[in-house]
Amino acid sequence: GKDHTKLNPFSDGDKMVILLPCRSPPSRERVQLWLEARRQYESLQRGL
Amino acid sequence: MTTLTRQDLNFGQVVADILCEFLEVAIHLILYVREVYPSGIFQKRKKYNVPVQMSCHPELNQYIQDTLHCIKPLIEKNDAEKVVVVIMDKERHPVERFVFEISQPPLLSISSDTLLSHVEQLLRAFILKISVCDAVLNNNPPGCSFSVLVHTRDAATRNMEKVQVIKDFPWIVADEQEVHMQEPRLIPLKTMTSDLVKMQLYVEERAQKT
Repeated sequence: GKDHTKLNPFSDGDKMVILLPCRSPPSRERVQLWLEARRQYESLQRGL
Repeated sequence: MTTLTRQDLNFGQVVADILCEFLEVAIHLILYVREVYPSGIFQKRKKYNVPVQMSCHPELNQYIQDTLHCIKPLIEKNDAEKVVVVIMDKERHPVERFVFEISQPPLLSISSDTLLSHVEQLLRAFILKISVCDAVLNNNPPGCSFSVLVHTRDAATRNMEKVQVIKDFPWIVADEQEVHMQEPRLIPLKTMTSDLVKMQLYVEERAQKT
């Protein structure tokens, strides 16, 4: 007989899937900017 | 010695709590050791009685927490076969994969209250292995990013739907490009077997990283 699960992939609930978040984590550049801003803020705080 | 089934107590929830806490520490440490982010955002903390590096970047921390919140229902139901931390190059091709293979034994043999402390000891060994893994891995190219992949059954994804909506953190099926790695080199890091959970950690490293 025909293998119907191959014709309709959505019928097979036990099929393995690999999932990942739709969103990306913050980029290295974005994190670097945050780090520099924090360092500047901390040095300003020390200067007060 | 008492033998209980997994349903007698809510072991799934206990295992999910323990593993998600561990995975959070492990992800932070991987990002630090593999230099995905500047070292300045990491602070030394103590977890499992050993020093670890944890990010203090709010957005990154939230991202990791949201990721694990979505995975947790799968682990609880023993539906997360693998949780993979993938490090990708600028073209978003995987260069390294830290693969956590997870399974829960169907029966639990409770010998004493040493069970949880034994698990903690085993997890500590994983953390120590991750913290020194750079010695056996080649340097990554500049500008890498990361993602967390979960291997599960199609039917089990329903368990994730609610939390995805609550957290506004949707998940999609990975593309071939995000999964495929050419000629990976396999580096086993650690294996643990306990009454609560079995876990294996290995790294798959792309032969040519640059």
